[in-house]
Amino acid sequence: MDWHQIWENATKPDNIPIAAMLFLVPFYTWYGLRQAFHTDRLIAELEADPQKAKTHHRKIFPFKPGWEREVHTWPYLMRIEFLAAVIVTIILMIWSITLNAPLEEPANPNLTPNESRAPWYFVGLQEMLVYFDPWIAGVLMPTLIIIGLMVIPYIDTNPLGNGYYTFRQRRIAILGFCFGFLVLWVGMVMVGTFIRGPGWIWFWPGETWDHNALVFEVNRDLPDLVGITSTPGKFIFGGLVVGLYYLATGYALHRLMSITEFHRKIYRRLSLLQYLTIQAFAITMIGLPVKMLLRHLPRAFGLPAIKYIWVTPWFNV
Amino acid sequence: MPEQPDRDDPIVSRSMSAPLLAASLILVGTLAWALYDEFYGLRPWKPYQREFIRLYTRYLEKAIPEQAAAEQRVRESEAFQKLEQQFQAAEAAAAPRVSEIDREIRDLDRRISVLTDVFQLARGKIGALTYRAETASSQRGKEKLLEEIQRVKEGPFRARLPVPDGTVETINYTFDQLEEEYNRLKQRKASLIADRAVALEEATAWRRQRDAYLQEHLVGLTEQQMRGLGRGVQSFQIEIKQINVPDTQLVDRCESCHVGIREPVTLSRADMSGQAVFVTHPNKALLKIHDPDRFGCSPCHGGNGRATSSIEKAHGQYKHWLWPLSPMENVEAGCQQCHGRDIVLEHAEVLNHGKELFRLRGCIGCHRFEGFDDERERLQATRQYIQQLLAQRAESEREIERSIQLGDAAATNEEAQRHYAQAENLRVGISKLDAEAEQLRIQAASLLREEKRIGPNLKEVRVKLRRDWIPVWLENPHAWRPTTKMPRFRLRRDELEAIAAFIWQSGIEAKLPAQPPGNPTRGKELFETRGCLACHARGEGEDAGGGSFAANLSRVGEKTNYNYLVRWIHNPRERTRPYCSLEKRDLGPEDYARKGLPFVLDLEHSTCPNDGEELQVQSGTVMPSLRLTWEEARDLASYLMTQRRQNPPPYPKADYMDDPNLKEQGKFWVRHYGCAGCHEIAGLEEEGRIGTDLTTEGSKPIDRLDFALFTIPAQRQGWRTHKNFFERKLADPAFFDQGKIRPRTEQLKMPNPNVTPGEIRALTTFLMGSTEPAFPQSYFYRPTDQRRDIQEGWWIVAKYNCMGCHQVRIGKKSVLMTLAAYQTPEGKDQLPPPLIGAGARLNPEWMARFLENPALSATDLNRNGVRTYLRARMPTFNLSVGEIQKLVRFFQALSSQAQPYIPPKLAPLTDRERLMAEQLFTHPAAPCLKCHATGDPAHDRTAIAPNFLLVKERLKPGWTERWIIDPAGIIPGTAMPSGLFRREGGRWVFSGPLPAGVHGYPGDHAELLVRYMFQLSAEEQRRLSGRLAASAPARSAGVSANLVQSH
Repeated sequence: MDWHQIWENATKPDNIPIAAMLFLVPFYTWYGLRQAFHTDRLIAELEADPQKAKTHHRKIFPFKPGWEREVHTWPYLMRIEFLAAVIVTIILMIWSITLNAPLEEPANPNLTPNESRAPWYFVGLQEMLVYFDPWIAGVLMPTLIIIGLMVIPYIDTNPLGNGYYTFRQRRIAILGFCFGFLVLWVGMVMVGTFIRGPGWIWFWPGETWDHNALVFEVNRDLPDLVGITSTPGKFIFGGLVVGLYYLATGYALHRLMSITEFHRKIYRRLSLLQYLTIQAFAITMIGLPVKMLLRHLPRAFGLPAIKYIWVTPWFNV
Repeated sequence: MPEQPDRDDPIVSRSMSAPLLAASLILVGTLAWALYDEFYGLRPWKPYQREFIRLYTRYLEKAIPEQAAAEQRVRESEAFQKLEQQFQAAEAAAAPRVSEIDREIRDLDRRISVLTDVFQLARGKIGALTYRAETASSQRGKEKLLEEIQRVKEGPFRARLPVPDGTVETINYTFDQLEEEYNRLKQRKASLIADRAVALEEATAWRRQRDAYLQEHLVGLTEQQMRGLGRGVQSFQIEIKQINVPDTQLVDRCESCHVGIREPVTLSRADMSGQAVFVTHPNKALLKIHDPDRFGCSPCHGGNGRATSSIEKAHGQYKHWLWPLSPMENVEAGCQQCHGRDIVLEHAEVLNHGKELFRLRGCIGCHRFEGFDDERERLQATRQYIQQLLAQRAESEREIERSIQLGDAAATNEEAQRHYAQAENLRVGISKLDAEAEQLRIQAASLLREEKRIGPNLKEVRVKLRRDWIPVWLENPHAWRPTTKMPRFRLRRDELEAIAAFIWQSGIEAKLPAQPPGNPTRGKELFETRGCLACHARGEGEDAGGGSFAANLSRVGEKTNYNYLVRWIHNPRERTRPYCSLEKRDLGPEDYARKGLPFVLDLEHSTCPNDGEELQVQSGTVMPSLRLTWEEARDLASYLMTQRRQNPPPYPKADYMDDPNLKEQGKFWVRHYGCAGCHEIAGLEEEGRIGTDLTTEGSKPIDRLDFALFTIPAQRQGWRTHKNFFERKLADPAFFDQGKIRPRTEQLKMPNPNVTPGEIRALTTFLMGSTEPAFPQSYFYRPTDQRRDIQEGWWIVAKYNCMGCHQVRIGKKSVLMTLAAYQTPEGKDQLPPPLIGAGARLNPEWMARFLENPALSATDLNRNGVRTYLRARMPTFNLSVGEIQKLVRFFQALSSQAQPYIPPKLAPLTDRERLMAEQLFTHPAAPCLKCHATGDPAHDRTAIAPNFLLVKERLKPGWTERWIIDPAGIIPGTAMPSGLFRREGGRWVFSGPLPAGVHGYPGDHAELLVRYMFQLSAEEQRRLSGRLAASAPARSAGVSANLVQSH
């Protein structure tokens, strides 16, 4: 996308949420982390001075003597919420006055647009289709994401961090979220919106999105690169490689989860089922960027990119 | 909890008032904004309507007094006053009776209004009871209700009716009486109203005449009508003005801003202080044909009829509206959407021009377009269908055999009968198939005759052309002949040489008989008088004169072979060799010799000696035969050979054209560039069209128009539209190849058509309107009645350029009419007859015969059949049967003649009538035979009108009578004198001094004369013309002078 197109694209009523996300997500991440570090410092302070801990009631502000122990919801909370509600209403009103629904021409089944882009919140899923076979990227992965989000309460055995911001006490959870949501989900939405152009070709910012553009890319299956030709051979070989990946990543994650005494304590609280569930979801999640790197990295060195690793007649990974 | 909160505590001590106040104010502000947007921002048409009211009121204030004054002038005229007085008198005469009726009606009305109330109440009550009785569930309940209805009907219903003397009478009715009385009063009133109309009949008639007089003599509306408009403006509602056509789901709100578009007055921009949005529709006649209440606006003009939020949205000028408003210069694109089948369309000159160019310039040679030049495709389809029928026939024959066998072997009699009956049925079926196949063969032969090529037959280059000229021509045809329809191909030198070599070497080798030289001076005269200039032009640049239908002949002498030219002029349809589509080759004399047949090519000898297939025995040219003698052809050719710039022409030697190595390569390029789309070329006769089908090009998705490297610049600069694509491509067909790196064979091959900006506009309009049907069927102009004959006929008229010589449309001059030689009075007499109203004039059967053979003679071909005195020659077009039928039907339909034509029976003349008619016919004030041809060569040299002997077969009596009464009304400027008859006592009487024998004849003189003409025999005419020659000849100019005096 050249700069003209970037401007056009970012100001399309359709893409306003994405453009806003570009700024809002980093801001709120920073804001949340700042709060978390504050709390972490406070925790450190209170841990150093147990006397102080007894009189401290506010979890977020550093302690000041003479402050009230508790404040009423009305007016102290409600007025802030009311203000927020007014501001959101203003934003919505202005939004609806200035930006019309981005209607296009009547759909023509004989002439589908190139590129056919998913709604902005699904562009990330669409980007996944580049790396996996549609069954995996379109059905299996989204299902796993939903199930993964559902199981979080059942596998989270860390009781700390409820009702206040903290980084130190929930390091793995927060890093896991940052990786899964910010890097993978939001990142891929950005890639799908601003990088993928006509023909779903990768255009760096500054390159013109041109329908006539031609690019040369070679993708090969890993078994083919190694020289395995028979179907059972491919099946067994791919299975071995994927199995190996699971074992290796699982071991690395295990080391990470037991890196400090605190983490070891949490680890000890996990049942075997909880532990395996965490491992399974985490390894699968990490699999996505691994696959992306296998596609993009060789290309940077002029090597054929890896298309699939595990090639079977029923699915491809 | 401490009473005083800590001042440092940020949660309890900080005041939120300021941000809350600010946020609330902003919220109120946005609310106001939202309301403004709702009432004004999204409704920009409101100020338009307010402005319109202001300007229109101002306009009317100015216009009403002017119009009133104009009306006053008409009202003060004597004729109007007379009508007014008549009306007043008639009204006064009827007044007593009318006032009496009015009084009675008034009394009746009062009684009826009272009675209506009583009656309706009663009926309502009984109706409700009846319904309950009908739906009652039990028999007992039903009976009870029926009893109650009876009781209610007994009444009494009391009515207090007014009496004319002012008192009131009270009457009690039962329901039946009430109903009867009510109906009686109503009938009485109706009959009184009828009486009133009768009493006023005369006055009404006078008033109508008076008003009609006013309408006719007043330009524009009457003052009263104008005041009506003014009242309309005062009660104008500011609201969305919408046209809604439910059956087509059309909603057009264009008139919300274009408020004045349908006003009955004419509002110009100046009237509306320069606001173009308020003008009235510039073509009110079009609006009358396409009533906006039925057609809306956007189907013709494009745009988004529903949108009202901004000009861009309403005009559809944004990316996602697929049917934007047609630009003013291409506005006729809208016509094409529904009128695709019309080649000539009233009110759409730009579009007509575009279609003409598309056909004439040979666009159609490469680009298929439905309906254009489809004879070849139809021929193929017909041939295929014949093959199918033959296969079906063979199948039936086998089936017959099987049925007979089964019948023979059948066990029972009935079964055998059944099989035999089936065989019988199949045999009858075969005879039906044969009949169908025969018809199809006739059709195929017709189509073979109708099939024409845009360019000349290239098989004949060797006998026709100077060899060295060909490369010069191919290099740049427009340099050699700027007006040529041959486009310029961007050929590389090697391609050009190969193409020239292939064309030259694939030409037929034939020896043409050597022709002795002719007389160029006589040739020049023939060229100027025979009508060649109706199609061909002569002279270069500014000096060019003549038609643009065919080639400009100013340099023809530089390239052509004299012997060929003579033969071509003598009969352009004559081929050197016939083409057989089954063997796919040209037959030579040897093929005929093998079967012992003479090598004769004409329509009677048109089957292949080898396989009996119908041959192409004619050249695919539309150029007709002028039926010239060989001598005349030689004179003409000799004259044309003098048409050259330099002698001898300085063309460089092109010996490579005889290099056989180039031939194959040349064939490749000829095929590549699609030369066979326009030319007949040996080996490529069946080549298809190489270009895109343009039938729906105007609605092709913009992504499928290849802007190539201009896609993104065009988008940013706002010219990524169909219009701009067509315009750029027509101006420079290689435009979109710029910057592309492609092998030669993949580069754009469309040749430069050499079109002017005006022609680009016309073609672009045509293409923009050629869209996928987006409307319901009922919108398309596909008539099935006589209008269809007109539609189809225009194609033939345009194909053969009838308008070169004849005027066919009112107001549209023929080419000859524009030439200097035809401007003098003598020249005007030499113009071919206009064909407006020809259908009313001519007997269709005769017309068909005439079109088939305009000489109207099997032997004496070197003449005009009807107007022997015209030097311009009606040529023989060799039309197919189908084309003749279409033409005849076309002219009949143009004059709204009933079809088929059955000639009316004319009463035979009595002896006395014959004598009288003869006297009128030869009357010295109008000696018919003076001007009309008689067949006597000496006389006919000076004749300027057709022979009377043709009348019976050729003309329709009704028209003939109208003609002799008022010829100038039918053909203005005709040499036939007008005013020969005058109206007297409901009949037409000869205007000149009446001959003695005619005095006292009670009948119509014109009618008598017509009957006489239709029964005139050759003998009688000869006798009369002999008598005329003997007496002192009256001068033809004197004829009309005499009449004017006696008038």
